[in-house]
Amino acid sequence: MFKNEELEINLGPQHPSTHGVLRVKLRLDGETIVKCTPIVGYLHRGVEKICENKTFFQGQVWTDRMDYVAAVSNNLGWAESVEKLFGIHVPRRAHYVRTMMTELNRISSHLLWLGTHALDIGAMTVFLYAFREREQILDCFESFCGARLTTTAFRIGGLREDIPPGFIKQVQAFQDRFLDCIDEYETLLTENRIWKRRTIGIAPINADECIAFGVTGPVLRAAGVKYDVRKAFPYAAYAEMNFEIPTRTEADTYARYLVRLEEFRQSHHIIQQCIDGLPEGNVMAKIPKVLKSEVNEIYHPIEAPKGELGYYLVGEKGGQNPYRFHVRGPSFVNLQALPQMTEGRLLADVIAAIGTLDVVLGEVDR
Amino acid sequence: MSILKKLLPLDIASGMKLTGKYFGRNFLQANRSKKHIHITVEYPETPISIAPRFRGRLQMLRDEQGEIKCVCCLACEKICPTQVITISKGKKEGRKTPFPTRYDFEMERCIFCEFCVESCGFDSIILNHQFELAAYNREDFSIGMEGQFQDMFRVSPVGQHSISSTKNPDSPDYT
Repeated sequence: MFKNEELEINLGPQHPSTHGVLRVKLRLDGETIVKCTPIVGYLHRGVEKICENKTFFQGQVWTDRMDYVAAVSNNLGWAESVEKLFGIHVPRRAHYVRTMMTELNRISSHLLWLGTHALDIGAMTVFLYAFREREQILDCFESFCGARLTTTAFRIGGLREDIPPGFIKQVQAFQDRFLDCIDEYETLLTENRIWKRRTIGIAPINADECIAFGVTGPVLRAAGVKYDVRKAFPYAAYAEMNFEIPTRTEADTYARYLVRLEEFRQSHHIIQQCIDGLPEGNVMAKIPKVLKSEVNEIYHPIEAPKGELGYYLVGEKGGQNPYRFHVRGPSFVNLQALPQMTEGRLLADVIAAIGTLDVVLGEVDR
Repeated sequence: MSILKKLLPLDIASGMKLTGKYFGRNFLQANRSKKHIHITVEYPETPISIAPRFRGRLQMLRDEQGEIKCVCCLACEKICPTQVITISKGKKEGRKTPFPTRYDFEMERCIFCEFCVESCGFDSIILNHQFELAAYNREDFSIGMEGQFQDMFRVSPVGQHSISSTKNPDSPDYT
């Protein structure tokens, strides 16, 4: 009467644990996954093609909308890659403010990850605690550039305006209480036996497989590879900053959790150095009103909260817009490792695996 | 010792202690302590504070004589990434500079990036602090210089009836 046959089910695209419109086609044998196929493209907007038809100034607003929880990082990547294409030198103060904002954004992105990942696995409380601090960071963004999510924070050549009065005080108020907040998350999760059961040994991927898939960011660092674009190819003011790259060797979900928690502390440390060493001076380089490129091509990687975010720009002679624009999105590349992490394991681990990869579907689909 | 550790859920108890601490503090002190401990506000009864640089709806400005400041240089129209601004150039009696006969702003496609305000050399437009931008008809999003709901100088239909936009002293629509 009962036959042993494989069952094919869809996880998503409307599943709350897939963090957006990710559809995962799963072939199940009982509760074990035989085959896992992530299907992307439900949120495709053609950002690369749109940006090829916009000027270099206008293209920035589309980078906000790729990885919408880390919009400032995306803005930084766009601004720096266009500056690299045109050879524009940005004032030192602008570099410091950019570094500070990007690190705040890294904290806010990791906080959203921590809250939703814990919520998916079953720890409801952390979500509320994480969003409490995220709110404070978003308030900082609002006073800096006027928007909370789609920031359009920087401009090509520096910043639009200098930081508003009272901004340093606002960031310092966040800095003063954030270390205690990390301890609170640790109290709630790190030693918790339910959290440990759900994360230790779940969704492993070792260093060789990570490199083969091109996986970057905290997932790679949790596998023991000490690779961080901030150290490997320093941009903005990171060359002057003093920080560590946290690594673990376990390469499971729990190790990635610990790596990201340590990144909170390192980001906190970098922001403090930016506040203390903020140089005086202007924040905008002199740039022409119309940017006309030469025949040139650049690739500029930055360390987004999810991993290596690279922008590839090709300029044509006299062109006001990029001839070719390509994004190497960390979420998209990291998602390709999902079958490797889940095949042969249990259905419930897929949720943990999607959570620990920290994908944002706006960037996967673009 | 390790068996005792396994039997007693001390790890969960420490988490419960933390949440209990916050629960007790909020239960006993909320609305009583002089220090502000709320994270949330009772919007719309309580107006929320908006940062001075907040990017709300596009608004045209008039000078002291009540004249429209815009001189139709079309800089905002050119820079706009989503092409939501359309300007028709015209002339007016007794005015030296060009006068916009039409200044159409399609709010449904606006992404509030403030590039238009940045490009304006005459400070004739701002993004105000209005954020309650919902409307009942699609036409209400096509904002121009005249018409009942299509007036760039007035607040949007929902904003007009909102408690918070009229109560907030930071807002330019404060009455």
